[in-house]
Amino acid sequence: MNDDSALGTVRDSLTAAKGTLSEAHMNTPLAAIVQRGRAARRRRRLIGLTGTAVVAASAAVVAGLTGFSGSAPGVQTAAFTLVSHANRTVTLTINPTELVDAAALQNDLKQYGIAAIVTSGSFCSSVPAPVGISQVVSFYPKATGPFTKIPRGVRPTITFNPAAMPAGAELSFGIFQHSSGEQQADFVLVDSSSYSCSSTPPQGPPASGVQFQDGSR
Amino acid sequence: MEFAEFYESARDDCLQVVLLNVGDRQLAEDLVAEAFAKAWVSWRKLRNYQAPRAWVVRAALNANVSRWRRHRREVGLDGHDQAVPAADSGVLSGELLAALRGLPLRQREVVTLRLLLDLDTETTARLLGIAPGTVGVHLHRAAETLRSALPHLADQEARQ
Repeated sequence: MNDDSALGTVRDSLTAAKGTLSEAHMNTPLAAIVQRGRAARRRRRLIGLTGTAVVAASAAVVAGLTGFSGSAPGVQTAAFTLVSHANRTVTLTINPTELVDAAALQNDLKQYGIAAIVTSGSFCSSVPAPVGISQVVSFYPKATGPFTKIPRGVRPTITFNPAAMPAGAELSFGIFQHSSGEQQADFVLVDSSSYSCSSTPPQGPPASGVQFQDGSR
Repeated sequence: MEFAEFYESARDDCLQVVLLNVGDRQLAEDLVAEAFAKAWVSWRKLRNYQAPRAWVVRAALNANVSRWRRHRREVGLDGHDQAVPAADSGVLSGELLAALRGLPLRQREVVTLRLLLDLDTETTARLLGIAPGTVGVHLHRAAETLRSALPHLADQEARQ
């Protein structure tokens, strides 16, 4: 027997099982869904306001420390905030308690001139990896080596310098959600014309890259 | 499509698919209601998605895993990432569903999206943020597990 036949049999069995549930109807009225949605939106706004205050305070501290001459809030979601600075760097702050929408983040980074492949549940890399990641990205908490553990409760901040990106390279940013609740983030530069992706989380830091893990959940 | 129209057309289908996965009628209704509430919040973006009902089902299944993890922490049990065991509601039982619920989350998502919601590989890959080839690998492994858990499926195939 082949794969198609096996899948067909499993599909038929599951469809038949689902068929036995045809009398199961969703009883929740639309109004109740909308009410729950409004409550969720209020919570999200509250988190957003708190996040704005934190980001604004962080930006002020960063400006004082690094001499950034100004910043403009760019994109703000429950999971991440992007802020562009006058010196053409861009800061990404991640809320580890929310799942990042990889496609949305990739798109938003692109709008700020950062060529990135953002993936959730997979990671892309090239062999050999282009060098120079330390010029393209810097991290807070500061990367203490190729592998850095983020303390509980800390929102990691990544500062991108798009001008330092080597020609023909992109930043690969892979996010993995472990069954323990921890998130793992791996960063490496990839050759835009030649890279491959794997759903297996790198067990250690990727070659010429950086790995973060948090314990916030 | 307006949200109300989407809810009307998709709610029973989403409930039935989630119910197959979790086995408890009340829990399934609550998970799906919460997922639809999230969909309402994000509807301006979600309405343009190719498969918004798959998004709702996935949100409900993920919420169930989060709920189970919280419960696991509260009761201090060790274990690995498994589906919530079928409740004693008596609503659904059977070897197939037990085997489905025993699959790792990612395999269960792929089976649900590909076989129950009839999404193609590309759309499933996009929704899960994984490569199309990985979808195939998960599906293959899930089918192997389901078949080995259910010898009568192999008999059916042999007759075909």
